[in-house]
Amino acid sequence: MEAGGSREREARNYLEKHQIMELLKYLTSVLLFIRPEKPREYLIAILEKLRIAKATGVAFPFFMDHSNIAAMFDMMDSSKKGTISFVQYKEALKTLGLCTADEVLKDDGHAITLDKFKSEVNKRTQEICGRTKGKGSGSCQTAAEQPRLH
Amino acid sequence: MDATTAPHHIPPEMSQYGEENHIFEIMQNMLEQLLIHQPKDPILFMINHLQLDNDNVPKIVILGPPASGKTTIAMWLCKHLNSNLLTVENLIAKEFSSLAAAARKHYQINKRVPSMQLVRLIQDRVSEEDCVRRGWILDGIPETREQALMIQTVGITPRHVIVLSAPDTVLIERNLGKRIDPQTGEIYHTTFDWPSESEIQDRLIVPVGISELETAGKLLEYHRNIVRIFPSYPKILKVISADQPCVDVFYQALTYVQTNHRSNAPFTPRVLLCGPMGSGKSLQAALLAQKYSLVNVCCGQLLKEAVADKSKFGEVIQPFFEKDMAVPDSLIMKVLSERLNQQDCIQKGWVLHGFPRDLDQALMMDSLGYKPNRVFFLNVPFDSVLERLTLRRTDPITGERYHLMYKPPPTTEIQDRLLQNPKDAEEHVKLKMDLFYRNATELEEFYGQALTINGDQDPYTVFEYIESGIINPLPQKVP
Repeated sequence: MEAGGSREREARNYLEKHQIMELLKYLTSVLLFIRPEKPREYLIAILEKLRIAKATGVAFPFFMDHSNIAAMFDMMDSSKKGTISFVQYKEALKTLGLCTADEVLKDDGHAITLDKFKSEVNKRTQEICGRTKGKGSGSCQTAAEQPRLH
Repeated sequence: MDATTAPHHIPPEMSQYGEENHIFEIMQNMLEQLLIHQPKDPILFMINHLQLDNDNVPKIVILGPPASGKTTIAMWLCKHLNSNLLTVENLIAKEFSSLAAAARKHYQINKRVPSMQLVRLIQDRVSEEDCVRRGWILDGIPETREQALMIQTVGITPRHVIVLSAPDTVLIERNLGKRIDPQTGEIYHTTFDWPSESEIQDRLIVPVGISELETAGKLLEYHRNIVRIFPSYPKILKVISADQPCVDVFYQALTYVQTNHRSNAPFTPRVLLCGPMGSGKSLQAALLAQKYSLVNVCCGQLLKEAVADKSKFGEVIQPFFEKDMAVPDSLIMKVLSERLNQQDCIQKGWVLHGFPRDLDQALMMDSLGYKPNRVFFLNVPFDSVLERLTLRRTDPITGERYHLMYKPPPTTEIQDRLLQNPKDAEEHVKLKMDLFYRNATELEEFYGQALTINGDQDPYTVFEYIESGIINPLPQKVP
């Protein structure tokens, strides 16, 4: 039925526009990781923080910050070569929710170094920030500044 | 991190936490509401939704032919669940609403309310504070498929739909005896539900439209419509026969409404089977392990394996076996922990039997964090146990096990040489049964959510009962 089809499309667009699935995934991961006594209250607290972060443009403490990215890289690079393979790189981006399963990433034949990995993660996080919060907002700028600290 | 070469191990605490707090269901409900309302500010909406905490509030639709007792059941459920009743009458009786006034006018002329207006009235009513907080019960709405679809479109979805059904002849006869109390609106019946106070008896009036012809006409229309409403509520519909005493219908409706439906939440079964010797625990555990790929953990077997492997635990346990003494609890617990901590148990789930046998063991297991999420007690009467165990025989030459009643040996030659395991002797069985029953009451108290199953049936029937106990959500106790 046409009416049903268009409502479904509306719903899908809504989900994408507000990145609802990523948000729910993030909330569930936090709940399972922290395992608070009162899950509802904890969820409400996180959502309030998110709201404030959006309104004031302060950087929101996402699950992964830069020390985590370096730690993640080290875990994948078990032989301490300083580089990871392309497959590992793509899997890591998928785990962080920064790339979709069927996106085709350029494999330029060289192994991925820590710097390249970090810059790609930052670039993608910035893109997402830009899409949801508006390009001029503070959190985007903070995200962009962070690579300079390392 | 690197899921390409080594698989991720999700710690069991996470899945236990998720199950206990129904995280999946919370998220699913939130997503449903988000998609229905599609608010501009999703985060504020989510905060408000979580604060309401009304996922488990009753949302019931009761449908049925005239004279089936819908309104009576609906009113009883309302009182019992402390919820709000919504009927066509009380929706249009609403004051201070132009919509309701228009609907009233229409009703007075045509004896029915147009669907559009009705759905709007329902929408307004359901979004009021008391319905949001305490839920709602729709009595006799939707009347047609059109209404059902419209209600769905505005986002009002019931969680339980009860349809009363009875043969037409019964209903026509029943309708003749219907009487209404004009003051309270309660419905009485000349045969089935006659009020005891004489002042109510005097007040009762005969309602309009209960002659046989009129009832038959209404029934025809009802049958035409109800068939097309069924497909709108596929998994949440239950048909209850109205051709039984009111109390029975009520209790069936109440139990149904208080059950949760199966959800898609990830679930790793950790099953505990308790029961006396000979109740069929090992057989059921083996069947479960085979069908659902669970790990079959038999406590006695584990200990024997440890001794046979001459592992470090085995060497400590061996003297107890030699002297035929009970192995101390702490030692058993250590061997068990080692097995339950292995990756295959954590990932696939386990079926445990033979432990714990008393409250201390149960407390120890609980304190170490091994909490089963389904506990079954298999009840078998003493005589059946004796029959099952004392007739067991083993063939010393081939090693084949027989049972004189259920699996008799094929030739008399084999039968002559069969031997009985001393553990299957009657006195020994009696001893073990007594031991079990002494501790059984404490265990049943400890595992409050345990399900009791009649073990005195053929194994596949018992297996089906156990299966349904595992697959369906745990029942909530009716107060």
